Amino acid sequence: MERRPKTLTVLSWLTSVVFIVALYLVLFWAPQEAIMGDVQRVFYFHVSAGWVGALAFLITAIVGGIYLARGEQRWDRAAMASVEIGVVFTFINIVTGSIWARPIWNTWWTWDPRLVTATIMELIYIAYIMLRQGIEDPDRRARFGAVYGIVGFISVPLTFLSIRIFRTIHPVVVGSTDPTAQGAFDMTANMRTAFFFSLFTFTLIYITLLWHRLRLQHKMEMIEERKLRALSA
Amino acid sequence: MMFQEPPADTLNFMIAGFAVILGTIGLYITNIIMRFRKLRQDEALLDEIEAEHA
Repeated sequence: MERRPKTLTVLSWLTSVVFIVALYLVLFWAPQEAIMGDVQRVFYFHVSAGWVGALAFLITAIVGGIYLARGEQRWDRAAMASVEIGVVFTFINIVTGSIWARPIWNTWWTWDPRLVTATIMELIYIAYIMLRQGIEDPDRRARFGAVYGIVGFISVPLTFLSIRIFRTIHPVVVGSTDPTAQGAFDMTANMRTAFFFSLFTFTLIYITLLWHRLRLQHKMEMIEERKLRALSA
Repeated sequence: MMFQEPPADTLNFMIAGFAVILGTIGLYITNIIMRFRKLRQDEALLDEIEAEHA
């Protein structure tokens, strides 16, 4: 098996350290929010996880387009790897949002446009993974994945804009002007530091995980090819 | 300031939130490591089969 690149090992350790720093900033550096209390600290990673989900699905759509233009399998590999990470982080985003909502909105779930669009987006990409597994031919699977990834991406801006287009109780923390939003707050300087550092940290986590996941996908395909060769020999 | 209410006691929800975040990321990393391990086992088996046939 190919050795892990040194850069990836360094990046993995660096990401771990940066994540610990982000945890420190979120849990101790940022002040306690005056009304919501400690649960507001979840917000930093909740938004960051949502950002990684959107970024991952954007990358999926982009590499899908590249695959359709060039027909190289490595772009399909990148799409699959990115979707998987996007699904994991969107899951974190939805569940932490629900945990935050319980004390703030007094409910785990409400049929708010943001919650609904985010969940639909998650289901669209879970379906992407499931449907791909049902296609045997690698070229057909890659073509399907590319088109699905591009069309499915419509759900991402829809989710992002849902709190700006529709009447919703979900807060728009950055640039909020909606008085009906419940749980909105203004960020102090330390809160902003923790927030932007969390966004940076989660982006780094995405890059690191994507690299590991790409290597895994590559290995899986190589082993699969060797198995087929061994069977046909 | 004197009459301001203290923040709501939501510490348990914060702990639950971070447990979900750390738990999910941890599980995903473990899953990737397990898949790598399984591939290494498969690779070792394939090496053996290929050595037998050589």
